[in-house]
Amino acid sequence: MNAIVFANVSKSYGRVTAVRSLDLTIDAGRTVALLGPNGAGKSTSIAMLLGLTQPDSGTVRVFGRTPDAAVAAGVVGAMLQDGALVPGLTVRELVDFVRNLYPEPLGRDEVLRIAGLTELAGRRADRLSGGQAQRVRFAIAIAGAPRLLVLDEPTAAMDVESRRAFWASMRAYAAGGRTILFATHYLEEADENADRVVVMAGGRVVGDGTATEIKARTGGSTIRFTLDGPSTAGLDRLPGVTAVEVHGSTVLLRTTDADATAQAVYTSGLPVRGIEVRAADLESAFLDLTRTKGH
Amino acid sequence: MLGYLRLELRRMFRDRRFVFFTIAVPVGFYLLWSNTFGGADAEPSTGLPAQVHLMVSMAAFGAIGAALTTTGPRLAAELQSGWLRQLQATPLPRRTVIFTKIFASMVLALPPLVLVSLVAALTQDVRLPAAEWIGMIALMWLATLPFAALGTIIGSLAGGDASQPVTVGTYLTLSALGGLWMPLDELPGGLRAVAHWLPSSRFAQIGWDVVGGHAPAAAVGLVLAGWTLALGGGAVAAYRRATLSA
Repeated sequence: MNAIVFANVSKSYGRVTAVRSLDLTIDAGRTVALLGPNGAGKSTSIAMLLGLTQPDSGTVRVFGRTPDAAVAAGVVGAMLQDGALVPGLTVRELVDFVRNLYPEPLGRDEVLRIAGLTELAGRRADRLSGGQAQRVRFAIAIAGAPRLLVLDEPTAAMDVESRRAFWASMRAYAAGGRTILFATHYLEEADENADRVVVMAGGRVVGDGTATEIKARTGGSTIRFTLDGPSTAGLDRLPGVTAVEVHGSTVLLRTTDADATAQAVYTSGLPVRGIEVRAADLESAFLDLTRTKGH
Repeated sequence: MLGYLRLELRRMFRDRRFVFFTIAVPVGFYLLWSNTFGGADAEPSTGLPAQVHLMVSMAAFGAIGAALTTTGPRLAAELQSGWLRQLQATPLPRRTVIFTKIFASMVLALPPLVLVSLVAALTQDVRLPAAEWIGMIALMWLATLPFAALGTIIGSLAGGDASQPVTVGTYLTLSALGGLWMPLDELPGGLRAVAHWLPSSRFAQIGWDVVGGHAPAAAVGLVLAGWTLALGGGAVAAYRRATLSA
């Protein structure tokens, strides 16, 4: 079942095209990262997904319904970028209020536990620290037990510790077979928390796959080792190798298939030691994708 | 619907300073004016004793103030902070949001109506038949509806920074041209004609009619009903515009 379908969706603000001919289908039960720099069209796509903005052309469907119908039916929960908390209420009051808007919400204690707010339930939500307030906003997003949870840059302005706790909460919620779409421009977040990464730039999808696939498709990995022999001849003919660099006895191979290359190095009979394999980081993959196909 | 109303009322009444001033301002002005002008001749425009005429004026002043200040600036702030956009991503319909805000602000318009009346009875010896007390408060309370709707329109359209001055400006204009500060007869001719059609002057007229011992004229009710329909429809449209980005 498709949780989300964007079919040929475009959206402009005046002369600025935010999203151009977006086609994207997301299966139910997946956790998908929407990765891209500022201005890539992530937030606009999310706003259209939630019925907060109407596309100029194309259709958006959420579990087969229009976004408005899906939101009204309580199928969707969202954490938006600027969704500040309303003053004057405790965490418990806010969570209960939102729970009661949905047909089949999570229990209050469960919401508080998943979001890590059990200890803060009686505190005024507008007097919490930034990281705590983000947890309340997450609690509000999951309170209704939505089948689709949408998070727009949820960890912006969080410190490292809060961020780690946040993703643990998200995974706990995803474990119930729910669909999650989150936008981020933190590459490692997409790498660590999503089973599919959709890279956007200039209002288009420029890359789509697992984090590993996206890395492999661009720069590739590097293999470094020490070679105690005189000759480096033939290294460039090993499977997957795209470049060879030699600095004294240290050899650096660039490869599109790190597994095959490493195996070939071991079985080559060359006097090799200290072999190190480094996956290309998503950062360079990402820069590569957005640079070449961005505009 | 009820859950959201409970939430809004809870937030409003938790803001104690705000509630205090909503009540204290009209009551304070009533005491000031009635002690200044009380005991003088009957007010020529309504034929009522000054302390009775002023009771209705200041009750109206307080109720309009409550209806406008609990809607405009709050709605604008919640739009600006993103809270209402967040609510738009829940099953709570837009219509419910705006109707609830209007009704919640009417709840806060009731205490100034009741307390100005109470202070008039206790300190200025205003005596009315029970039916007139009840009729005046009930009808005036219902008639706060167009002001609450107007407040939400200001909140939806004015933006966070401007909503406060626009609300206060609207409030003072409606009060002055509504005959709440001085009789309409003292306004220049052109303004007097305009004032006659304003919801604030019709609002106070209802009260003056009831405490004068006669039913309000149908025309007064019709003008207010017209304002209610227009401003109510405007409130829903303005809120939709404010929460649905282009």
